[in-house]
Amino acid sequence: MKTNPCAAIIGAGRTRFTERWEEDPKAMIGMAGMKAFESVDKGIKRNEIEAGFFGSFLYQVTNKIGLVPGYMSRELGLNVPMINTEAACASGGLALHNACLGIESGRYNAILVAGFEKMSDRQDKIIDDLMFAADPYEFEAGYNFPGLYATMMTRYMYEFGNNDSRCSEALAQISAKNHHHCIKNKYAQFKDKGEISVEDVLNSRMIANPIRILHSSPISDGAVALIITKPEIAKKYTDTPIYIMSSQETTDHVSLYTRNKITSVMSTRLAVDQALKETGLTINDIDIAEAHDCFSIEEAFFLEDSGFYDEGKAWKNIYESYESFKGSGHIPYLKNGKELTVNLGGGLKADGHPVGATGIRQAFEVFKQLRKEANENQIDREVNTAMCHNVGGTGGIATVHILARDIQ
Amino acid sequence: MSEPIARRNLLVEYRLRTTKCLNCGNTYFPPKYFCNNEGRSSKMLEVDNFYEKGEFYSGSVINEPTNRFNHLDTFVSAIISFRESKIRIPGRITDYIAPKAIKVEEFVGKKVIPRFRRSYSDGRDGLIHYSSHNFSLEDDYYTHQKYKVTKPTNINGKPGIVGYGVYLPKFRIKNDEPALGVLERSLPFADEDTTTFAVESGKRAIIHSAINNNEVRKCFVGSESSPYAVKPSMATVIQVLELGEKMNGGFFSGGIDSQFACKAATDLIIDAAGLVAYPVFKGKYVMVIGADNSQASPGDRLDYTVGAGGVALIFGRDDVIATLDHYLPYTSDTPDFYRREGEKYPRHGGRFTGQPAYFKHVVTSMKTLMKNTGLKNNDINHVAIHSPNAKFPVQAAQEAGFEKKQFETGLVVKKIGNLYSGSTLAALSAILDIAKPGERILMTSYGSGSGSESYIFTVTNQIEEKRKQTISVKEQVENPKKEYVDYHTYRKWKDIFYH
Repeated sequence: MKTNPCAAIIGAGRTRFTERWEEDPKAMIGMAGMKAFESVDKGIKRNEIEAGFFGSFLYQVTNKIGLVPGYMSRELGLNVPMINTEAACASGGLALHNACLGIESGRYNAILVAGFEKMSDRQDKIIDDLMFAADPYEFEAGYNFPGLYATMMTRYMYEFGNNDSRCSEALAQISAKNHHHCIKNKYAQFKDKGEISVEDVLNSRMIANPIRILHSSPISDGAVALIITKPEIAKKYTDTPIYIMSSQETTDHVSLYTRNKITSVMSTRLAVDQALKETGLTINDIDIAEAHDCFSIEEAFFLEDSGFYDEGKAWKNIYESYESFKGSGHIPYLKNGKELTVNLGGGLKADGHPVGATGIRQAFEVFKQLRKEANENQIDREVNTAMCHNVGGTGGIATVHILARDIQ
Repeated sequence: MSEPIARRNLLVEYRLRTTKCLNCGNTYFPPKYFCNNEGRSSKMLEVDNFYEKGEFYSGSVINEPTNRFNHLDTFVSAIISFRESKIRIPGRITDYIAPKAIKVEEFVGKKVIPRFRRSYSDGRDGLIHYSSHNFSLEDDYYTHQKYKVTKPTNINGKPGIVGYGVYLPKFRIKNDEPALGVLERSLPFADEDTTTFAVESGKRAIIHSAINNNEVRKCFVGSESSPYAVKPSMATVIQVLELGEKMNGGFFSGGIDSQFACKAATDLIIDAAGLVAYPVFKGKYVMVIGADNSQASPGDRLDYTVGAGGVALIFGRDDVIATLDHYLPYTSDTPDFYRREGEKYPRHGGRFTGQPAYFKHVVTSMKTLMKNTGLKNNDINHVAIHSPNAKFPVQAAQEAGFEKKQFETGLVVKKIGNLYSGSTLAALSAILDIAKPGERILMTSYGSGSGSESYIFTVTNQIEEKRKQTISVKEQVENPKKEYVDYHTYRKWKDIFYH
């Protein structure tokens, strides 16, 4: 692995993801930000922050926040550069990527990176709003957002499912696994719901055939914040910074129908490839991953697009990994004795998916796991290297970050 | 959606417009005006897929639609591929009620046909958005028809019908017991209205006529259920079917939406035939469409006779299938049936609609025209009469001295209901479907308010050559894929028109 990181995370804080009816965005962001500051072991002062990078998707329509930089300036009481990023579900991942560029360029020493979303404020209009993450012609064709992933899932099952019921079961197992992962995560939206079974998923309400409600991430409110610094000054703030070894953003067509293939996500493939090349790693060197499971099929795509499993083979391996698991901890994906544990806090499915916060939440989860601070939800094996994978829309953008604790 | 966006979208969506690079052959939807391979040096050609057949690439049954599409309940959205998958377009499968449990993969590879349908509206007082990004399954109710222009062989003859197209929707409702002889009726699917009927029937008429669409210079749409109080369906028909020479996204053609209860369209037949023979007009063809999502107040006796659909006739002088030989109108101010501006449903005068209105006007115009022409009843092979139900036209024909064998072919109302502006034309079309060269057809329409006109046509040899390009009324009436719905669904779909 290369030894020169892009940036270092020195602190992280978040709210619980849930329907936070009584809080407005600034209360959530304030809470996450405060926790991030308080988590810095050796302390950091607010005026050491030289820039803010924020990810949010629907802030304009949901909360009528039109000028995030000015909004954040007021809330933080700072007059430093504030950069807002909107990239649908990858808004958070892109904010982190842009912040890394800010550090790598040498311009900033310390940056506050945050993501937030207040989806419950839009009630039943959110189903239309989510189509901002798609192409207008897809909206005109009657699609809702789950329907687009359902179209990918239909084609995947057509091309690779061999009419085998285990393919459907495997995609349900992803949801069951992620719910299993969330029950010890105190921040998770479905922490109190408890386990769900594969049968629960397969019998749940059909929202966009073949996608059911329990294949889908929920409507969530929440905020997450990180403080990142130049790697060389990170130890001034903490003895255990988590290093960002690679930060990648790639894009592809916003529209499903113009892509050559809809059974994989090219932007993911490109971003993973670039991140692995930059770090000198292979996918087999990654211990844990936070994958973008907005719908369970997307986690299956990640397993193939990242190269962990071959194209069209993920569902069989998911099925076998799930069926062979004995124990009560995290359920890993298996490949020739190698384990890759994905979505340790429950992922988008069970931890929650306040759209703009998700990419930052992934880094938060990894930060806690790699620092062995995940308490009851701490993975029960030694892990050092992690990948965060955040997708916007149906793959119009992907960000991939590789993070590590010990890099020498 | 704002009006400028609507205008830009319709230029693409009405004809399934794509572009193609003339150098490398790359195709693009949405249309791009430079090629990704060739860059600024590329030369792009606009290609439309309006008459093409597509293929289901992948899709989903949308059970919980966006607010825009809530009125459609559950439906299939899909990616449709065209031209051997060189181009893919998102769309919606129409005329299909998706069952709850269905394996969507089983749709992959099925052939589909573009349909012009209503997508959604911007509220009760906003724009209605139409599109051809709706597709019916080829192995379902509708077959695919190829559009091929044929050079006419018989030119500059007597004006008459060059071709016709009948559009009856797939869905039907059965009457528990016959309502004045009407057994079952057609109704609009949730995304159909008068404008979509007009377009679909016009499309069929163009295919049947085998004429060049840009030689049609006038389009009349007669209806009493226009989706807009102000904004002509006719302009939509012209834009979708590209009637007239094209320039700057518009067309050198004109027309009007007309209103005269059920004879809004038939009244203009004489004008159409006159125009094609008038040198100042300079157009070769005129299209006359009668289309209605026939309205009736829920529970009213009309609610058991109304149907839905459209019929288009194209008039010209080349390769005419039936010449127009005689005409006589008869009109009086008789208030038998009316609808005030702003009211949803028409009101009728009960028994007054019979003798003083329908029978008086229909029989007077039929008998007088026959007398004026000197023709005897047995010189007429077929009689087509406006059919508000299956009893009135029989009684009127008999009062005028015609026999069952002359009027029975036109009695399609029994199985499709009263198409209002399309009613007489559907009867005429059913006769044209089987008429032999040399046969005479007497057609008499009726419009409340009130008026009738009678026409006499003579069928030519051309009719048999063009018949293979027709989807006959009988085929549509007896189509094994037609689907029955209950009264609740019928009312719901019929009234989506108002949303």
